[in-house]
Amino acid sequence: MPTRVLVIGGGSGGTMLANALDHRRHEVTVVSASSDHLFQPALLYLAFTGAAARPVRPERALLGRHVHLVEDRVTRVDLGSRQVSTAAGRDLGYDYLVLATGIQSDPSQIPGLAELNARFGDYHSTVAQARLLWRHLDAFGGGTIVLGQSTPVCKCPPSPVEGILLADELLRRRGRRGASRLVFLTPYPRPYPAEAVNEVVEPILAARGIEVMPFFDVDRIDTEASVVHSIEGDEVRYDLPILIPPFVGADIAFEPPDVLDPDRFLRTDRHTLRVQGFDNVFAIGDGTDLPTSKSGVGAHLEAKVVARALKGRPASFDGRTNCPLDLGHGRGTFVIGSYDRPVARSRPTRLKHLMKIVFGKVYWLSLRGWLEPVFDLYFKLTAPRPS
Amino acid sequence: MEPETVPHTLVDARGSACPGPITDLSMAYRRSKVGDVIELWATDPGVKPDVRAWATKTGNLVRSVEHQPDKIVVVLEILRR
Ligand SMILES: Cc1cc2nc3c(=O)[nH]c(=O)nc-3n(C[C@H](O)[C@H](O)[C@H](O)COP(=O)(O)OP(=O)(O)OC[C@H]3O[C@@H](n4cnc5c(N)ncnc54)[C@H](O)[C@@H]3O)c2cc1C
Repeated sequence: MPTRVLVIGGGSGGTMLANALDHRRHEVTVVSASSDHLFQPALLYLAFTGAAARPVRPERALLGRHVHLVEDRVTRVDLGSRQVSTAAGRDLGYDYLVLATGIQSDPSQIPGLAELNARFGDYHSTVAQARLLWRHLDAFGGGTIVLGQSTPVCKCPPSPVEGILLADELLRRRGRRGASRLVFLTPYPRPYPAEAVNEVVEPILAARGIEVMPFFDVDRIDTEASVVHSIEGDEVRYDLPILIPPFVGADIAFEPPDVLDPDRFLRTDRHTLRVQGFDNVFAIGDGTDLPTSKSGVGAHLEAKVVARALKGRPASFDGRTNCPLDLGHGRGTFVIGSYDRPVARSRPTRLKHLMKIVFGKVYWLSLRGWLEPVFDLYFKLTAPRPS
Repeated sequence: MEPETVPHTLVDARGSACPGPITDLSMAYRRSKVGDVIELWATDPGVKPDVRAWATKTGNLVRSVEHQPDKIVVVLEILRR
Protein backbone atom coordinates (compact mmCIF):
# COMPACT_ATOMS: atom_id res chain seq x y z
CA MET A 1 0.00 0.00 0.00
CA PRO A 2 1.43 3.39 -0.91
CA THR A 3 1.73 5.79 2.02
CA ARG A 4 -0.36 8.95 1.90
CA VAL A 5 1.68 12.16 1.71
CA LEU A 6 -0.27 15.36 2.17
CA VAL A 7 1.48 18.58 1.15
CA ILE A 8 -0.08 21.84 2.32
CA GLY A 9 0.86 24.73 0.02
CA GLY A 10 1.35 24.68 -3.75
CA GLY A 11 4.14 27.26 -3.96
CA SER A 12 7.79 26.71 -4.89
CA GLY A 13 8.59 24.19 -2.16
CA GLY A 14 5.32 22.23 -2.13
CA THR A 15 5.17 21.86 -5.91
CA MET A 16 8.78 20.69 -6.22
CA LEU A 17 8.37 18.19 -3.42
CA ALA A 18 5.11 16.72 -4.76
CA ASN A 19 6.69 16.25 -8.19
CA ALA A 20 9.81 14.65 -6.72
CA LEU A 21 7.92 11.81 -5.00
CA ASP A 22 7.53 8.39 -6.55
CA HIS A 23 3.85 7.64 -7.22
CA ARG A 24 4.43 3.91 -6.79
CA ARG A 25 5.46 4.46 -3.18
CA HIS A 26 3.38 7.49 -2.27
CA GLU A 27 -0.10 8.72 -2.88
CA VAL A 28 0.55 12.44 -3.10
CA THR A 29 -2.02 15.19 -2.51
CA VAL A 30 -1.34 18.91 -2.61
CA VAL A 31 -3.87 21.17 -0.94
CA SER A 32 -3.38 24.79 -1.84
CA ALA A 33 -5.31 27.96 -1.12
CA SER A 34 -4.75 29.29 -4.63
CA SER A 35 -5.37 27.64 -7.98
CA ASP A 36 -2.72 30.00 -9.41
CA HIS A 37 1.02 29.75 -8.89
CA LEU A 38 2.87 33.06 -8.72
CA PHE A 39 6.57 33.27 -9.61
CA GLN A 40 7.29 35.84 -6.89
CA PRO A 41 10.77 37.00 -8.00
CA ALA A 42 9.12 38.53 -11.07
CA LEU A 43 7.33 41.05 -8.84
CA LEU A 44 10.63 42.95 -8.61
CA TYR A 45 10.67 43.52 -12.37
CA LEU A 46 6.95 44.25 -12.59
CA ALA A 47 7.38 46.98 -9.99
CA PHE A 48 10.71 48.53 -11.05
CA THR A 49 10.92 48.04 -14.82
CA GLY A 50 7.25 47.82 -15.77
CA ALA A 51 7.75 44.28 -17.12
CA ALA A 52 4.48 43.23 -18.76
CA ALA A 53 4.42 39.42 -18.66
CA ARG A 54 2.07 37.97 -16.04
CA PRO A 55 4.20 35.59 -13.93
CA VAL A 56 1.33 33.27 -13.03
CA ARG A 57 0.39 29.76 -14.16
CA PRO A 58 -2.31 27.37 -13.05
CA GLU A 59 -0.97 25.09 -10.34
CA ARG A 60 -2.62 22.04 -11.92
CA ALA A 61 -0.46 22.41 -15.03
CA LEU A 62 2.70 22.45 -12.91
CA LEU A 63 2.03 19.20 -11.06
CA GLY A 64 2.70 15.73 -12.38
CA ARG A 65 -0.34 13.68 -13.36
CA HIS A 66 0.07 11.40 -10.35
CA VAL A 67 -0.38 14.29 -7.91
CA HIS A 68 -3.89 15.06 -6.65
CA LEU A 69 -4.63 18.76 -6.25
CA VAL A 70 -7.22 20.07 -3.83
CA GLU A 71 -7.90 23.77 -4.22
CA ASP A 72 -8.93 24.76 -0.73
CA ARG A 73 -7.59 26.72 2.24
CA VAL A 74 -6.47 24.76 5.28
CA THR A 75 -7.81 26.22 8.51
CA ARG A 76 -6.83 23.66 11.13
CA VAL A 77 -4.15 20.99 11.51
CA ASP A 78 -4.26 18.49 14.36
CA LEU A 79 -0.89 16.78 14.40
CA GLY A 80 -1.85 14.37 17.19
CA SER A 81 -4.86 12.87 15.41
CA ARG A 82 -3.43 13.51 11.89
CA GLN A 83 -6.42 15.51 10.72
CA VAL A 84 -6.37 18.50 8.39
CA SER A 85 -9.52 20.64 8.04
CA THR A 86 -10.25 23.12 5.27
CA ALA A 87 -12.39 26.23 4.72
CA ALA A 88 -14.78 24.29 2.45
CA GLY A 89 -15.35 21.70 5.18
CA ARG A 90 -13.05 18.92 3.95
CA ASP A 91 -11.28 16.60 6.39
CA LEU A 92 -8.05 15.17 5.02
CA GLY A 93 -5.93 12.47 6.61
CA TYR A 94 -2.29 11.51 6.01
CA ASP A 95 0.60 9.25 6.92
CA TYR A 96 3.15 12.00 6.26
CA LEU A 97 2.45 15.72 6.28
CA VAL A 98 4.59 18.40 4.65
CA LEU A 99 3.91 22.03 5.52
CA ALA A 100 4.93 24.34 2.68
CA THR A 101 2.62 27.27 3.32
CA GLY A 102 5.18 30.07 2.93
CA ILE A 103 4.72 33.50 4.50
CA GLN A 104 2.32 36.31 3.72
CA SER A 105 2.73 40.04 3.99
CA ASP A 106 0.97 41.59 6.98
CA PRO A 107 0.98 45.40 6.86
CA SER A 108 -1.57 45.53 9.71
CA GLN A 109 1.29 45.09 12.21
CA ILE A 110 2.50 48.65 11.66
CA PRO A 111 0.24 51.68 12.15
CA GLY A 112 -0.26 53.47 8.83
CA LEU A 113 1.34 50.78 6.67
CA ALA A 114 -1.83 49.13 5.35
CA GLU A 115 -3.05 52.51 4.11
CA LEU A 116 0.37 53.31 2.64
CA ASN A 117 0.73 49.98 0.82
CA ALA A 118 -2.84 50.21 -0.48
CA ARG A 119 -2.11 53.64 -1.95
CA PHE A 120 1.42 53.16 -3.34
CA GLY A 121 1.66 49.39 -3.83
CA ASP A 122 4.47 47.03 -2.83
CA TYR A 123 6.56 44.31 -4.47
CA HIS A 124 6.19 41.42 -1.99
CA SER A 125 2.54 40.45 -2.20
CA THR A 126 0.54 40.42 -5.44
CA VAL A 127 0.80 41.23 -9.15
CA ALA A 128 -1.75 44.03 -8.72
CA GLN A 129 0.26 45.62 -5.90
CA ALA A 130 3.49 45.44 -7.94
CA ARG A 131 1.78 47.06 -10.95
CA LEU A 132 0.41 49.82 -8.70
CA LEU A 133 3.93 50.55 -7.48
CA TRP A 134 5.18 50.67 -11.08
CA ARG A 135 2.53 53.28 -11.97
CA HIS A 136 3.81 55.51 -9.14
CA LEU A 137 7.45 55.01 -10.15
CA ASP A 138 6.65 55.56 -13.81
CA ALA A 139 4.93 58.87 -13.01
CA PHE A 140 7.57 59.99 -10.49
CA GLY A 141 8.88 63.39 -11.51
CA GLY A 142 11.21 64.05 -8.56
CA GLY A 143 11.31 64.26 -4.77
CA THR A 144 12.24 61.71 -2.12
CA ILE A 145 11.87 57.97 -2.57
CA VAL A 146 12.18 56.08 0.70
CA LEU A 147 12.63 52.31 0.37
CA GLY A 148 13.22 49.62 2.97
CA GLN A 149 11.99 46.58 4.82
CA SER A 150 9.77 47.43 7.78
CA THR A 151 10.95 44.59 10.01
CA PRO A 152 14.08 42.39 10.14
CA VAL A 153 12.57 39.32 8.49
CA CYS A 154 12.27 39.80 4.74
CA LYS A 155 11.19 37.39 2.05
CA CYS A 156 14.27 37.27 -0.21
CA PRO A 157 16.85 39.30 1.80
CA PRO A 158 18.54 40.79 -1.31
CA SER A 159 15.25 42.25 -2.58
CA PRO A 160 15.39 45.58 -0.66
CA VAL A 161 18.83 46.43 -2.08
CA GLU A 162 17.72 45.27 -5.52
CA GLY A 163 14.70 47.55 -5.32
CA ILE A 164 16.62 50.71 -4.50
CA LEU A 165 19.27 50.00 -7.17
CA LEU A 166 16.64 49.39 -9.84
CA ALA A 167 14.83 52.59 -8.79
CA ASP A 168 18.12 54.46 -9.18
CA GLU A 169 18.69 52.92 -12.60
CA LEU A 170 15.18 53.85 -13.73
CA LEU A 171 15.53 57.47 -12.62
CA ARG A 172 18.93 57.78 -14.33
CA ARG A 173 17.56 56.42 -17.60
CA ARG A 174 14.70 58.88 -17.37
CA GLY A 175 17.02 61.80 -16.56
CA ARG A 176 15.25 62.39 -13.26
CA ARG A 177 17.92 61.27 -10.84
CA GLY A 178 19.12 64.86 -10.29
CA ALA A 179 15.67 65.89 -9.09
CA SER A 180 15.35 63.02 -6.64
CA ARG A 181 16.73 61.89 -3.33
CA LEU A 182 16.91 58.14 -2.67
CA VAL A 183 16.88 56.98 0.96
CA PHE A 184 17.41 53.35 1.90
CA LEU A 185 16.12 52.24 5.31
CA THR A 186 17.41 49.10 6.99
CA PRO A 187 16.98 47.59 10.46
CA TYR A 188 20.55 46.28 10.20
CA PRO A 189 23.85 48.01 11.07
CA ARG A 190 24.66 48.26 7.34
CA PRO A 191 22.84 48.02 4.00
CA TYR A 192 23.29 44.25 3.64
CA PRO A 193 23.33 42.21 6.85
CA ALA A 194 25.95 39.64 5.78
CA GLU A 195 29.28 41.50 5.95
CA ALA A 196 30.87 39.87 2.89
CA VAL A 197 27.97 40.90 0.67
CA ASN A 198 27.85 44.32 2.23
CA GLU A 199 31.46 44.88 1.12
CA VAL A 200 30.16 44.63 -2.45
CA VAL A 201 26.86 46.46 -1.96
CA GLU A 202 27.77 49.45 0.23
CA PRO A 203 30.29 51.06 -2.19
CA ILE A 204 27.76 50.70 -5.03
CA LEU A 205 25.05 52.47 -3.03
CA ALA A 206 27.55 55.23 -2.14
CA ALA A 207 28.65 55.60 -5.77
CA ARG A 208 25.03 55.99 -6.86
CA GLY A 209 24.36 58.66 -4.24
CA ILE A 210 21.86 56.57 -2.26
CA GLU A 211 21.54 57.64 1.39
CA VAL A 212 21.43 54.82 3.94
CA MET A 213 19.66 55.00 7.32
CA PRO A 214 20.83 51.96 9.33
CA PHE A 215 19.16 50.64 12.50
CA PHE A 216 15.80 51.76 11.18
CA ASP A 217 13.03 49.43 12.39
CA VAL A 218 9.76 50.92 11.18
CA ASP A 219 7.53 51.77 14.14
CA ARG A 220 4.71 53.80 12.56
CA ILE A 221 3.86 55.95 9.59
CA ASP A 222 2.29 59.36 9.83
CA THR A 223 0.44 59.39 6.53
CA GLU A 224 -0.80 63.00 7.04
CA ALA A 225 2.73 64.36 7.41
CA SER A 226 4.26 61.73 5.05
CA VAL A 227 6.83 60.67 7.63
CA VAL A 228 8.12 57.20 8.59
CA HIS A 229 9.21 56.82 12.24
CA SER A 230 11.54 54.11 13.61
CA ILE A 231 11.55 52.32 16.96
CA GLU A 232 15.06 53.73 17.41
CA GLY A 233 13.68 57.27 17.29
CA ASP A 234 14.65 58.38 13.74
CA GLU A 235 12.29 59.72 11.09
CA VAL A 236 12.28 60.39 7.35
CA ARG A 237 9.89 62.28 5.07
CA TYR A 238 8.83 60.73 1.77
CA ASP A 239 7.17 61.61 -1.50
CA LEU A 240 7.11 58.02 -2.73
CA PRO A 241 7.34 55.38 0.04
CA ILE A 242 8.26 51.80 -0.91
CA LEU A 243 7.96 49.87 2.32
CA ILE A 244 8.24 46.10 2.41
CA PRO A 245 5.60 44.87 4.88
CA PRO A 246 6.22 42.49 7.78
CA PHE A 247 5.60 38.80 7.11
CA VAL A 248 3.75 36.12 9.05
CA GLY A 249 3.21 32.40 8.62
CA ALA A 250 -0.07 30.98 7.31
CA ASP A 251 -3.29 31.55 9.21
CA ILE A 252 -3.76 27.95 10.35
CA ALA A 253 -4.75 26.81 13.86
CA PHE A 254 -2.31 24.10 14.95
CA GLU A 255 -2.77 21.47 17.58
CA PRO A 256 -0.49 21.54 19.53
CA PRO A 257 -0.16 25.34 19.11
CA ASP A 258 3.45 25.45 20.29
CA VAL A 259 4.76 24.14 16.95
CA LEU A 260 4.54 27.82 15.93
CA ASP A 261 6.83 30.59 17.17
CA PRO A 262 5.45 34.10 17.93
CA ASP A 263 5.64 35.10 14.24
CA ARG A 264 3.73 31.95 13.26
CA PHE A 265 6.87 30.35 11.77
CA LEU A 266 7.02 26.59 12.24
CA ARG A 267 9.56 25.30 14.72
CA THR A 268 11.59 23.05 12.42
CA ASP A 269 14.65 20.88 13.03
CA ARG A 270 17.56 22.50 11.20
CA HIS A 271 18.83 19.26 9.71
CA THR A 272 15.97 16.75 9.49
CA LEU A 273 13.35 19.45 8.67
CA ARG A 274 10.90 17.64 10.93
CA VAL A 275 8.48 19.75 12.90
CA GLN A 276 9.38 19.74 16.58
CA GLY A 277 7.92 16.66 18.28
CA PHE A 278 6.52 14.88 15.18
CA ASP A 279 8.45 12.30 13.18
CA ASN A 280 5.91 12.19 10.35
CA VAL A 281 5.60 15.97 9.85
CA PHE A 282 8.05 18.10 7.83
CA ALA A 283 8.23 21.80 7.07
CA ILE A 284 9.99 23.44 4.12
CA GLY A 285 10.35 26.92 2.63
CA ASP A 286 9.59 30.38 3.96
CA GLY A 287 7.17 29.14 6.63
CA THR A 288 9.91 27.52 8.77
CA ASP A 289 11.93 29.16 11.56
CA LEU A 290 15.25 27.98 10.06
CA PRO A 291 18.06 30.54 10.44
CA THR A 292 18.52 30.82 6.68
CA SER A 293 17.26 33.30 4.13
CA LYS A 294 13.66 32.98 3.02
CA SER A 295 14.21 32.12 -0.63
CA GLY A 296 12.93 29.90 -3.40
CA VAL A 297 16.33 28.27 -3.66
CA GLY A 298 16.09 27.35 0.04
CA ALA A 299 12.60 25.89 -0.50
CA HIS A 300 13.98 23.90 -3.47
CA LEU A 301 16.91 22.43 -1.51
CA GLU A 302 14.70 21.64 1.47
CA ALA A 303 12.17 19.89 -0.79
CA LYS A 304 15.00 17.66 -2.03
CA VAL A 305 15.95 16.73 1.53
CA VAL A 306 12.37 15.83 2.49
CA ALA A 307 11.86 13.86 -0.75
CA ARG A 308 14.93 11.78 0.13
CA ALA A 309 13.74 11.27 3.71
CA LEU A 310 10.33 10.09 2.45
CA LYS A 311 12.07 7.61 0.16
CA GLY A 312 13.79 6.22 3.26
CA ARG A 313 17.24 7.54 2.32
CA PRO A 314 19.61 9.43 4.63
CA ALA A 315 18.83 13.13 4.34
CA SER A 316 20.07 16.22 6.13
CA PHE A 317 19.79 19.93 5.28
CA ASP A 318 23.05 21.90 5.52
CA GLY A 319 21.47 25.37 5.56
CA ARG A 320 22.64 26.23 2.05
CA THR A 321 21.59 29.62 0.66
CA ASN A 322 22.18 30.70 -2.90
CA CYS A 323 20.45 34.01 -3.58
CA PRO A 324 21.09 36.08 -6.69
CA LEU A 325 21.33 39.84 -6.16
CA ASP A 326 20.58 42.19 -9.05
CA LEU A 327 22.85 45.24 -8.76
CA GLY A 328 21.20 47.14 -11.61
CA HIS A 329 22.80 48.16 -14.94
CA GLY A 330 23.02 44.51 -15.95
CA ARG A 331 25.30 43.29 -13.18
CA GLY A 332 24.71 40.85 -10.36
CA THR A 333 26.26 38.86 -7.54
CA PHE A 334 25.30 35.84 -5.42
CA VAL A 335 24.85 35.36 -1.68
CA ILE A 336 26.11 31.83 -0.95
CA GLY A 337 26.60 30.25 2.48
CA SER A 338 25.41 27.47 4.79
CA TYR A 339 25.01 26.77 8.51
CA ASP A 340 28.72 26.23 9.01
CA ARG A 341 30.14 28.14 6.04
CA PRO A 342 29.72 31.90 6.29
CA VAL A 343 28.66 33.90 3.26
CA ALA A 344 31.72 34.72 1.14
CA ARG A 345 32.40 37.75 -1.03
CA SER A 346 31.40 37.31 -4.65
CA ARG A 347 32.54 39.72 -7.36
CA PRO A 348 29.69 41.37 -9.30
CA THR A 349 29.61 40.34 -12.95
CA ARG A 350 27.33 40.44 -15.97
CA LEU A 351 27.32 36.63 -16.01
CA LYS A 352 25.83 36.46 -12.50
CA HIS A 353 23.08 38.84 -13.56
CA LEU A 354 22.45 36.68 -16.58
CA MET A 355 22.24 33.61 -14.36
CA LYS A 356 19.51 35.27 -12.30
CA ILE A 357 17.55 35.93 -15.49
CA VAL A 358 18.09 32.32 -16.65
CA PHE A 359 16.89 30.94 -13.29
CA GLY A 360 13.72 32.96 -13.81
CA LYS A 361 13.26 31.58 -17.33
CA VAL A 362 13.67 27.95 -16.27
CA TYR A 363 11.57 28.28 -13.10
CA TRP A 364 8.46 26.59 -14.47
CA LEU A 365 10.50 23.69 -15.86
CA SER A 366 12.48 23.35 -12.64
CA LEU A 367 9.27 22.82 -10.65
CA ARG A 368 8.76 19.57 -12.54
CA GLY A 369 12.16 18.31 -11.45
CA TRP A 370 13.38 17.78 -15.01
CA LEU A 371 16.43 19.99 -14.49
CA GLU A 372 17.58 18.37 -11.25
CA PRO A 373 20.81 16.93 -12.71
CA VAL A 374 21.78 20.43 -13.90
CA PHE A 375 20.91 21.98 -10.53
CA ASP A 376 22.81 19.27 -8.64
CA LEU A 377 25.90 20.05 -10.66
CA TYR A 378 25.43 23.80 -10.23
CA PHE A 379 25.03 23.53 -6.43
CA LYS A 380 28.11 21.31 -6.27
CA LEU A 381 30.26 23.69 -8.31
CA THR A 382 29.16 26.73 -6.31
CA ALA A 383 29.25 25.10 -2.85
CA PRO A 384 30.47 27.47 -0.14
CA ARG A 385 34.04 26.83 1.05
CA PRO A 386 35.10 26.59 4.72
CA SER A 387 36.21 29.94 6.15
CA MET B 1 25.92 33.56 36.46
CA GLU B 2 23.40 34.82 39.04
CA PRO B 3 19.87 33.43 38.72
CA GLU B 4 17.62 35.62 36.60
CA THR B 5 14.52 37.06 38.14
CA VAL B 6 13.57 39.28 35.19
CA PRO B 7 12.00 37.98 31.95
CA HIS B 8 14.78 36.26 30.06
CA THR B 9 14.41 35.65 26.35
CA LEU B 10 16.72 33.16 24.70
CA VAL B 11 17.42 33.87 21.04
CA ASP B 12 19.22 31.03 19.30
CA ALA B 13 20.84 32.36 16.12
CA ARG B 14 23.50 29.68 15.81
CA GLY B 15 24.25 28.71 12.24
CA SER B 16 22.62 31.82 10.85
CA ALA B 17 24.57 32.59 7.68
CA CYS B 18 22.30 35.01 5.90
CA PRO B 19 20.77 37.39 6.90
CA GLY B 20 22.52 36.67 10.23
CA PRO B 21 22.10 36.87 14.01
CA ILE B 22 21.31 40.59 14.05
CA THR B 23 17.97 39.72 12.40
CA ASP B 24 16.99 37.52 15.31
CA LEU B 25 18.11 40.14 17.81
CA SER B 26 16.08 42.89 16.09
CA MET B 27 13.00 40.65 16.03
CA ALA B 28 13.37 39.99 19.78
CA TYR B 29 13.83 43.75 20.34
CA ARG B 30 10.53 44.50 18.56
CA ARG B 31 8.73 42.23 21.02
CA SER B 32 10.62 43.35 24.14
CA LYS B 33 9.79 45.75 26.98
CA VAL B 34 12.08 47.90 29.12
CA GLY B 35 13.76 45.71 31.72
CA ASP B 36 13.80 42.52 29.59
CA VAL B 37 16.98 40.52 29.32
CA ILE B 38 17.82 38.95 25.96
CA GLU B 39 20.39 36.18 25.66
CA LEU B 40 21.63 35.75 22.11
CA TRP B 41 23.49 32.64 20.91
CA ALA B 42 25.43 32.91 17.69
CA THR B 43 28.23 31.24 15.79
CA ASP B 44 28.94 34.12 13.39
CA PRO B 45 31.89 36.11 14.86
CA GLY B 46 30.46 39.26 13.25
CA VAL B 47 27.87 39.24 16.02
CA LYS B 48 30.20 41.04 18.46
CA PRO B 49 30.74 44.35 16.64
CA ASP B 50 27.14 44.25 15.38
CA VAL B 51 25.64 43.86 18.82
CA ARG B 52 27.83 46.64 20.23
CA ALA B 53 26.88 49.02 17.42
CA TRP B 54 23.24 48.04 17.85
CA ALA B 55 23.33 48.70 21.62
CA THR B 56 25.00 52.10 21.14
CA LYS B 57 22.44 53.14 18.55
CA THR B 58 19.39 51.88 20.43
CA GLY B 59 20.59 52.93 23.91
CA ASN B 60 20.54 49.40 25.31
CA LEU B 61 23.12 47.58 27.42
CA VAL B 62 25.46 44.73 26.49
CA ARG B 63 25.89 42.98 29.84
CA SER B 64 28.34 40.34 28.71
CA VAL B 65 29.91 38.65 25.70
CA GLU B 66 31.23 35.17 26.35
CA HIS B 67 33.10 32.84 23.97
CA GLN B 68 32.14 29.22 24.56
CA PRO B 69 33.61 26.34 22.54
CA ASP B 70 30.52 25.96 20.38
CA LYS B 71 29.01 29.45 20.45
CA ILE B 72 29.22 33.11 21.38
CA VAL B 73 26.76 34.10 24.13
CA VAL B 74 25.72 37.75 24.37
CA VAL B 75 23.50 38.98 27.19
CA LEU B 76 21.67 42.27 26.65
CA GLU B 77 19.41 44.35 28.82
CA ILE B 78 16.67 46.43 27.25
CA LEU B 79 16.82 49.95 28.71
CA ARG B 80 14.98 51.78 25.94
CA ARG B 81 12.07 50.97 23.70
C1 LIG C 1 10.32 40.41 -4.87
C2 LIG C 1 10.76 39.01 -4.59
C3 LIG C 1 11.93 38.54 -5.17
C4 LIG C 1 12.37 37.25 -4.92
N1 LIG C 1 13.52 36.83 -5.54
C5 LIG C 1 13.97 35.58 -5.31
C6 LIG C 1 15.14 35.09 -5.97
O1 LIG C 1 15.76 35.79 -6.79
N2 LIG C 1 15.57 33.84 -5.69
C7 LIG C 1 14.90 33.04 -4.79
O2 LIG C 1 15.33 31.93 -4.56
N3 LIG C 1 13.79 33.46 -4.17
C8 LIG C 1 13.30 34.71 -4.40
N4 LIG C 1 12.15 35.14 -3.78
C9 LIG C 1 11.56 34.32 -2.71
C10 LIG C 1 10.70 33.17 -3.18
O3 LIG C 1 9.68 33.61 -4.03
C11 LIG C 1 10.09 32.49 -1.96
O4 LIG C 1 11.08 32.28 -0.99
C12 LIG C 1 9.47 31.14 -2.30
O5 LIG C 1 8.35 31.33 -3.11
C13 LIG C 1 9.09 30.36 -1.05
O6 LIG C 1 8.48 29.15 -1.38
P1 LIG C 1 7.44 28.45 -0.40
O7 LIG C 1 7.05 27.20 -1.07
O8 LIG C 1 7.99 28.40 0.97
O9 LIG C 1 6.21 29.47 -0.31
P2 LIG C 1 5.31 30.08 -1.47
O10 LIG C 1 5.94 29.90 -2.78
O11 LIG C 1 4.96 31.45 -1.02
O12 LIG C 1 4.00 29.16 -1.45
C14 LIG C 1 3.12 29.06 -0.37
C15 LIG C 1 1.87 28.34 -0.84
O13 LIG C 1 1.06 28.00 0.29
C16 LIG C 1 -0.28 28.27 -0.02
N5 LIG C 1 -0.98 28.48 1.26
C17 LIG C 1 -0.77 29.45 2.18
N6 LIG C 1 -1.63 29.31 3.20
C18 LIG C 1 -2.38 28.21 2.93
C19 LIG C 1 -3.46 27.56 3.61
N7 LIG C 1 -3.91 28.00 4.78
N8 LIG C 1 -4.01 26.47 3.03
C20 LIG C 1 -3.56 26.01 1.83
N9 LIG C 1 -2.56 26.59 1.15
C21 LIG C 1 -1.98 27.68 1.69
C22 LIG C 1 -0.22 29.50 -0.90
O14 LIG C 1 -1.39 29.63 -1.65
C23 LIG C 1 0.99 29.17 -1.77
O15 LIG C 1 0.61 28.37 -2.85
C24 LIG C 1 11.64 36.42 -4.05
C25 LIG C 1 10.46 36.87 -3.47
C26 LIG C 1 10.01 38.15 -3.74
C27 LIG C 1 8.73 38.63 -3.11
